[in-house]
Amino acid sequence: MANIQCANIRKSYGGHTVIENLNLDIADHEFVVFLGPSGCGKSTMLRMIAGLEEITDGTVSIGDRDVTHLHPGERGVAMVFQSYALYPHMTVEENIAFGLRRQKVAEDEIARRVKHVAGLLGLESFLERKPKNLSGGQQQRVAMARAMIKTPKLFLFDEPLSNLDAKLREKLRTEIRKIHLDLKTTTIFVTHDQLEAMTIADRIVLMRAGAIEQQGTPAEIFDQPATRFVADFIGSPAMNFRDCVVNRDGDRIELATGSMRLQVPSQEFGALAHGATVEVGLRPSKMDLAAPGDQNSITGRIVLVENMGSEGQVIVDVDGQEMSFVTKAFRTLEPGQPVSFSIEPASIHVFSKETGRSLRKAG
Amino acid sequence: MNNRRFLFWTLTPGFAVLATLALISIAGALYFSVMDRSLRYSDYHFAGLYNYQRLLSDRRFLNALQISAIWEVVTVAGALVVATLLSVLIFETVKSFWLRNLICFAFLAPVLLPRVAAAFIWRFLYSPSLGLINYLVGLTGLGPVEFLADPSLALMSVAIVDIWQWGLFFTVIMLKLLETLPKDPIEAAQLDHAKTWEIHAYVTLPMLKAPIISLALVKAVESLRSFDLIYVMTGGGPGTATETLDLYAYQAGINLGGRISYASAMSILLLVLTTIVFTLIWKGIRKWAV
Repeated sequence: MANIQCANIRKSYGGHTVIENLNLDIADHEFVVFLGPSGCGKSTMLRMIAGLEEITDGTVSIGDRDVTHLHPGERGVAMVFQSYALYPHMTVEENIAFGLRRQKVAEDEIARRVKHVAGLLGLESFLERKPKNLSGGQQQRVAMARAMIKTPKLFLFDEPLSNLDAKLREKLRTEIRKIHLDLKTTTIFVTHDQLEAMTIADRIVLMRAGAIEQQGTPAEIFDQPATRFVADFIGSPAMNFRDCVVNRDGDRIELATGSMRLQVPSQEFGALAHGATVEVGLRPSKMDLAAPGDQNSITGRIVLVENMGSEGQVIVDVDGQEMSFVTKAFRTLEPGQPVSFSIEPASIHVFSKETGRSLRKAG
Repeated sequence: MNNRRFLFWTLTPGFAVLATLALISIAGALYFSVMDRSLRYSDYHFAGLYNYQRLLSDRRFLNALQISAIWEVVTVAGALVVATLLSVLIFETVKSFWLRNLICFAFLAPVLLPRVAAAFIWRFLYSPSLGLINYLVGLTGLGPVEFLADPSLALMSVAIVDIWQWGLFFTVIMLKLLETLPKDPIEAAQLDHAKTWEIHAYVTLPMLKAPIISLALVKAVESLRSFDLIYVMTGGGPGTATETLDLYAYQAGINLGGRISYASAMSILLLVLTTIVFTLIWKGIRKWAV
């Protein structure tokens, strides 16, 4: 177990720089998720920590030991790949024990440890099988067992659940989380699935174009997105965005567009200048049907009601533009009806049109 | 139905020609092997299994059988070992795409040479008085080595030429096979503390088991037909040190005695033997490769 430090990491292929001056500290026992769209550099970052990809500039330390130039095998890390990367010609037992055999661990010790991890992951009855005779979920369990048996200082997961169907993904996600609670090994988990990231992470590191856009607990990332990109990337259904003009009247701040009038607390948005155009973000899940007398209510005409089971997403035409909100009381709503919905002032996000950064005061 | 008719009419002519050619020559050889046909006399009579009986007590035949077996094992194993070692070496050390292709191109050249041309080139290289190899050997202080005239060296010296042609060709094939392997298991092995040679010994080469077996079979069949190479380089000599079965059959049937029937019996035995051996190997390999 160990803390990880990445200092001034740069990665370039030829003349093309994909990661520039990235700094990241991960505490011991922490479960960190690298999240971002494909091509944002999250997998490259993971592979550099593993030693599979050369680091152009900067240093990586694991447990206060500089591992920047160490061979992957010497870093004390174990990795689970998206493709499982099992050795196809070996049995499950040989796959799991391969690393220990290379380190010349005694056979009775290997047998004991194989039995232990196979028990943890429910693989006892598959030990003599070849990977091709296993399902995707079982193969990924073997890959996890192969990583766990080495008792590494650091677990790396490179989109391990992407090739599995939704149900299995959920199940394994819970298992990975449980194993982490048990072993407490520092873990880095790469995914492009924001839901996966939200459910599994102690801390999310959201990346975009080779740089960290925001990092924080899932709640921080969800409730206080630092930029429009983060706000848009996190949350499903996706956030509604509208350009609004700021109207200041003393301490009263109103954001207006078309028929929409939203009031925001001045202590949090004191920096907004009168007459400026800003981008307002409204989470569908933070809005609901308006009760009489609600502040910040928005009125429009229902276009579509999507049944999501326990709740429904309602798509509404507001001044010729579509917005959506989520409500449990969707069953009475019909397309074509007028509808009013409202949002708490505290859940309104305001972003700069120029920089995309949140204009909410920190803290 | 239409599809079947199409297959029938497109495949039949080719198969017919092949079958006719193979069957006529086999039938001819079978026929002559039970006669006492010789080029010295115009008449011949039925001799039963006399030729076969004589073969089994012919020491030169048994010697040729042994030489053939050694030749098979040495050339097949040699080509594969050279190909494995060189392809792994290139895979690990040459990362430039252009350099790799250049090496592949150079390695393909020997196998493109006609056998006879390759044989002549190496006869000159091996020559005790003019040869480059003996010049190099001379620099180390050892006297000129009679590569092709020394009975203990001749077979291996010819085998080296065969391995030079086919080992380098197989190197190119195996390098391309290594390049097609998925990267992930190799990276997983790196993280599993495997050294470079261990990655290849335990991961990549076992993953290529099936194609490598195919290469071995192709080479085994090819090695049976090395008549031209051996004939040009040593003619089977010195003595009978490099005389394989096909060379002896040729010497007995065409060159020396003109004993057509005796040579035919030898060919038939060779055919039966190779069919049996290859069937056994094939079955064994298929069981093992699953």
